[in-house]
Amino acid sequence: MDPRPPKFDVRHLDLWYGQTQALKDVSFSIDPNTITALIGPSGCGKSTFLRVLDRMNDLIEGVRVEGSVLYDGEDIFGDRDVIELRKRVGMVFQKPNPFPMSIWDNIAYGPRVHGVKDKKALSDLVERSLVQAALFDEVKDRLHKPALGLSGGQQQRLCIARVLAVEPDVLLMDEPTSALDPISTAKIETLLDELKRRYTIVIVTHNMQQAGRVSDRTGFFLHGELVEYAPTRDIFFNPRDERTENYISGRFG
Amino acid sequence: MPDTKSHGRRILQQKAAFAAIRGLSILTIAILALIIGFIAWKGLRFDRETRSTVLPFAEASPKGLAIVVNRESALEVVEAPVLLGIYTDEYINWSKISGEDTDLLPVAVDPATPEGAAARDLVFGAGAAEAIAWGGLVEFVPSPEAALEKVRTTPGSIAVLPHEALRDLAGIATVSLRRLSVVASADAMALVENRQVEDMDDVEVARLVSGGVPSWAALGGPELAVAPIAPPAGSPLEAAAKAAGQKPAGNPAIDMAGYLAALAGAKGGVGLAFAEDLVAFARSGEEAVALANGEAPSLAPLTRRGHERGWNLSLRYLVEEPRLSGRVGGISTIILNTFAMLILTLLIAAPLGVAAAVYLIEYAKQGPLVRILRLGTETLAGIPSIIFGLFGMLFFVDILHFGFGLLSGCLTLTLMILPTIVRTSEEALKSVPRALREGSLALGATKLQTIAKVVLPAAAPGILTGLILGIGRAVGETAALLFTMGSDYKLATGLFSSARALSTHVYLLFAEGISFDRAFSTATVLILIVLLFNVAAKRLVGRMGRNAAA
Repeated sequence: MDPRPPKFDVRHLDLWYGQTQALKDVSFSIDPNTITALIGPSGCGKSTFLRVLDRMNDLIEGVRVEGSVLYDGEDIFGDRDVIELRKRVGMVFQKPNPFPMSIWDNIAYGPRVHGVKDKKALSDLVERSLVQAALFDEVKDRLHKPALGLSGGQQQRLCIARVLAVEPDVLLMDEPTSALDPISTAKIETLLDELKRRYTIVIVTHNMQQAGRVSDRTGFFLHGELVEYAPTRDIFFNPRDERTENYISGRFG
Repeated sequence: MPDTKSHGRRILQQKAAFAAIRGLSILTIAILALIIGFIAWKGLRFDRETRSTVLPFAEASPKGLAIVVNRESALEVVEAPVLLGIYTDEYINWSKISGEDTDLLPVAVDPATPEGAAARDLVFGAGAAEAIAWGGLVEFVPSPEAALEKVRTTPGSIAVLPHEALRDLAGIATVSLRRLSVVASADAMALVENRQVEDMDDVEVARLVSGGVPSWAALGGPELAVAPIAPPAGSPLEAAAKAAGQKPAGNPAIDMAGYLAALAGAKGGVGLAFAEDLVAFARSGEEAVALANGEAPSLAPLTRRGHERGWNLSLRYLVEEPRLSGRVGGISTIILNTFAMLILTLLIAAPLGVAAAVYLIEYAKQGPLVRILRLGTETLAGIPSIIFGLFGMLFFVDILHFGFGLLSGCLTLTLMILPTIVRTSEEALKSVPRALREGSLALGATKLQTIAKVVLPAAAPGILTGLILGIGRAVGETAALLFTMGSDYKLATGLFSSARALSTHVYLLFAEGISFDRAFSTATVLILIVLLFNVAAKRLVGRMGRNAAA
């Protein structure tokens, strides 16, 4: 096993939307430089959980959280600056959401809000991020064209590049390929394998083949509970819990 | 099996509904086109009814004399009765004659000289010099050369000079004279049983003098045969009469005085005469005695009804300053004032309105307070502008002592258009997808950075539309401005100087009965400006939209 301390250590996490409990006593840890897939039927809490990790749930009124999430050993609900957390823990959303500006400006947006002003440094960052996101060759001739002119798959890789440009440590991905065609999906899956070397990745997916293809460990959520969390191979071929087996074999969800 | 009968009925209903909707939309478009077309036509062209006792035959050099004016004058043609009026103090200013706000200076060469006498005869008619009443304004000069020099150097001056005296035309302009009148004997013009000869148009005049009308009754006058009297053969009048359509059948035996006396004496007589000869005739023996006894004149000119048409809206109208309450001149300063007003209003209203919308959408807790605020803004948007005007007058003009001026007017307009700007900006901000905000926040941007760099740019087309709508309302506003911005048509020199906007100008031109034609041309300019704004906004929004989407 990995001798390094876990990237995230989730302990007895409960979360309520008003009166509704969305997460129930979730506890597990995520190792660095791994891809963790979160699967489960719609409304099971996997996306909610993902959004806890960079505290995007703060934006929703009436959310209450109990328990703790340690990121590099530090509680993310503690004194930690949420801006700093979101810089370290980047998020890619289900639907590509490029800003209505040029490709270049989209990538440079993150570094800029964190105070990078030097044009040369920004240009280097933009290029490096696009290369990392395997998009550079496709867009290098139109960096100053509107980002909304790209195809859906390109837009999603642009969003990944945009996150990479702020030099994060963790990538959270909320069903990043659900709005894309199979070819774009394949490109992004290949990309994930590359990115794993430098980043810790947590990906929520509805697509179980995808979870099987890309992830090292998989967590199965049901009704707000983490039913099972194990190496992906075990989840798919040797589930311990009956509910996991039922879900995997397509009996519900 | 489908019910074919009800199916057919449904199709018929749909067809009928479609036809009705199409008809209504065509009607709407037609009405809009009619309104704009009407205003634009009235604004571009004028068509005035004119009444005059002289016919529209202009002579450049009657009796070898030329009428000259200072080069700055816009006068091109003058009617003989007006020329007489100029030399008898009936006019003291050019405004009623040529529309210029210039003092009138009639110059006359000393009537003791032959040149002076000839000029006097053209204005007053030949005859006894002592009976002529020169006006007090008239400045007598010893020679035609002196008169020419005077006209050259004095704006607003006019003189009648022999043709030979005009060797150097620098600084002067010549004016044509209209002096041919249709005259009728007193019995034809008499009021009989509430009937009298009416004003005639050109066709009726031509038929009358050529003998085409048998009885004065056809023209609204008494039952009396028309007796055309031919002018003396070989006289200048005969040539003029030919031009007017009269058949040449002149009597060579008589002179002008004899001709006019014959005309006056004929039963139902009608003929042509030069205006100055009529003046001379009126001054002469019998006629003067009759007038002194309170009798009707035995010869009277008929009134011709004509139309004057031309371009109303000219470049000159746009670039000249208004004078005499806008009766004369153009609207340049008013256009500039309007733009100053719009810019100032936008400078105040745009930051306020957008900031309020950002607060309401992005920051305020959506509770009863915000609901009340929204209701308030919507109510304000529906309040008639006159009420804003009253408020502005009491609050800005009076309590804050800003006085009638740009600042008071713009603040009032700001209050008026703020609700529109806030509401449209709110809608624009609301329509920015949540995903964009989340994308920015997830990158570690603060809320303020997100709003400034992502949300506002994304909402910019919508916000801009709101601003244009507001500006559109402001540029057409009259009631709120009358009480707050004042109505001085000079160029505004500061925040507190009274300024007239185009809309106010249109209103005042109508309300004070100054000129309908000018009101319409100003209205056309106003419509063009609004059109300009809309086109500019469309292009701007279109370009922003393209940047965002393609």
